[in-house]
Formats: sequence, C-alpha cells, structure tokens
Amino acid sequence: MPKVSIKRKSVSLDMTAMCDVAFLLLTFFMLTAKFRPDEAVTILPPTSVSERPVNTQTGTITISVANDGKIFMSTDNKEAQQSMLDRMANRYGVALSEKQKNNFMASEIVGYPAGAMRQVLDLSKTEVKAKGLYQGIPCDSADNQLYLWVSYAKLAAPSLSVVIKGDAESNYKVFNQVVGTLQSQNINVFQLVTGPENKPK
Amino acid sequence: MAEIAQDGGGKGGKKRAKKMSTKIDMTPMVDLGFLLITFFMLTTTLSKPVTMQLSMPDKTDTKETSPVKLSETLTVSPDEKKIYYYQGIPGAPDTKLEVTDYSATGIRQILFDYKKRIGTNFTIVVKPTKGAKYRNMVDFLDECSITENKRYALLEMDPLTEKMIKDSGK
Repeated sequence: MPKVSIKRKSVSLDMTAMCDVAFLLLTFFMLTAKFRPDEAVTILPPTSVSERPVNTQTGTITISVANDGKIFMSTDNKEAQQSMLDRMANRYGVALSEKQKNNFMASEIVGYPAGAMRQVLDLSKTEVKAKGLYQGIPCDSADNQLYLWVSYAKLAAPSLSVVIKGDAESNYKVFNQVVGTLQSQNINVFQLVTGPENKPK
Repeated sequence: MAEIAQDGGGKGGKKRAKKMSTKIDMTPMVDLGFLLITFFMLTTTLSKPVTMQLSMPDKTDTKETSPVKLSETLTVSPDEKKIYYYQGIPGAPDTKLEVTDYSATGIRQILFDYKKRIGTNFTIVVKPTKGAKYRNMVDFLDECSITENKRYALLEMDPLTEKMIKDSGK
C-alpha cells in the first residue's frame, strides 16, 4: 500500500475578498458621514435628555445665538433664501451685483446688518471671518432686522419650521429677544437644538 | 506571513533573476481599513444633535385660558449657579424664597416632591434671572421633562420677584 501523505495546506489565506468588503464599508461610511460644516461661528449647544431628532422634513430656518450674543440666521430652502435676499436688498436700498447675489446664495449663513451686505458679499467666507465682519443680525426694538429676515423667508415658504441653536454660554436675554421677535409674528413652536445626554434613572 | 522566497542553496552556475511572489501581504491594509471603519461608524452615531420642543402661548389668542390656582404653582428663577423658587405672590410677607442647585438632589428632588404633593395640576412658572445663561434655561426645562412635568410656562422676569431675590441675599 502506498503511503498516504497528508496534504500540507498553506497557512496564508486569501484576504482579497475581506479587504474588498472592508474598503467598501469604509467608502460608504466616509461618504455618508456628515462633517460639521464650517460655520461662521462655533456654537456649542447645551445638552438635554431629549431624544427627538431635528425635524428637517418641511425645511428649517435656523437661528443661531453665539456665546457673545450675536445672532445668525440660515435656511435650507433656496426659494426662501432668494426671497430673503431680494426683499431685504429692496427694503434697505442695497443694489447688488449678480456676483454678490450668487455669493449670497452659496453662503449658508446670514450674520451681518443689512447695511454691510455689499461689503460682506464681495468677500469669501474665510475673509469675512478674518475681518470680523460677522457682526450678527440686529434684533432690538429700534432696528429689528431678524424680524424681517424671518418674515421674508416665511413669505416664500410658510411651512418652514424654526430651529433655535443657542450656545450654552450665551445670555438668556438674547434668547428671550429672539423668541419675542418670533412670537410677534405668530411663530410659537420652536425646536431647540441640544446635544444628547444620558437619561438619569 | 510574508512568503519567503526559497533560496537555491548557493550552487554555482547561472545567476537567475529571483522570481518574486505576486502575493502581497494584505494584513496591515485590512487592519487599517477596519480601524477607519470603526472610527467612522462611531463618529457618525455620536454627533447626532437632538432637539427639545418648546411651545409658547399664542399672543394673539386671548380666549381659552385655563385659570391656574396659586397654590398649585411654583415660581422658579434659574440663575447661573443656583435656582430660586417660591410659592405664592411675589413680595407678599408670607412668601418664602428658597434656593437650591442644579444637582440631582437639588431641583429635581424638589420638583418630584411638589408634584407628589400637588398632583397633576402642578404648574411651574419659569422666570429666568437677568444673569441666567441659555444653558440654565435648557437645563431647567430638561429637569421638567425628567420629572415628567409638562405644565410649565416661560415668562419674563418681573420686578417684584427680582427684588425678592435681591433682598434675600442668597
């Protein structure tokens, strides 16, 4: 009888398939990961135990309050953004060039008085930030431009819901002003953006 | 795990170009791949912001207000580090202003106690002080949701309450 020899199997296995899967998943997560957009200001919201995610179905108007009390505003609805720009420029008699308008549509945040609109829209976002031109939207009884921005945005898209994103260290007074401004145009339901926190038992 | 090319053993003669294996060791590459996957998986789930719904009363709607008994309300003034609270009319001699903090044994316990004593009609009136930060308001509303109090109203600070806090010196 011939000797039965046990076949020696190689210890190194083919990792190509595993590698393929790994990189496929990697690509997927990299593409779906949403990076924090470069904001005009960094806002660190407080935390809460709420578990409700941000409702973006109907579109949103986001009002941000920075920790130094400056107010910013943005919307994800292009139509509303266009309406805001046209009506605001019209009201304050600011003549904007086509380039400035395009710049506004590409920018995601409004954070300057209407008077400074031309100056800001000539520059790129990083330049505006470097020069400290993000002065915040005036929101006092003498000159309430936030009221106008929001109402013009609502005019184009009435279904937009209002999200308030306040910095944890911002003063409550500013928040109160913002809420007062919104209430005066009959917006009474807000979503307050907070970070997640574990619920105590 | 890298394949080691067998050496001929140093026999003299023709020198042949060594035939390299076409197989590459992919272990480090796979390691790196999975490391990055883990990183992206963890970061995508962790930074999801949540929202807190805040409904304010309609200013134009004057009818349909349900009266609230004074004995069933608690007025709370969140300040930067502490929380003032009292029951009754501000400025009245028998109204006692008390002070607590944001810890689990502070305001949370008080809200639980009041809710237990007063029942479902327990209403909280929130009047943040001038020095309060936005965080304080959110923290307090959070305590309300932890203690399952849905009846609260966010109001402006009134001079009488302000005076009471100042006079108490707490």
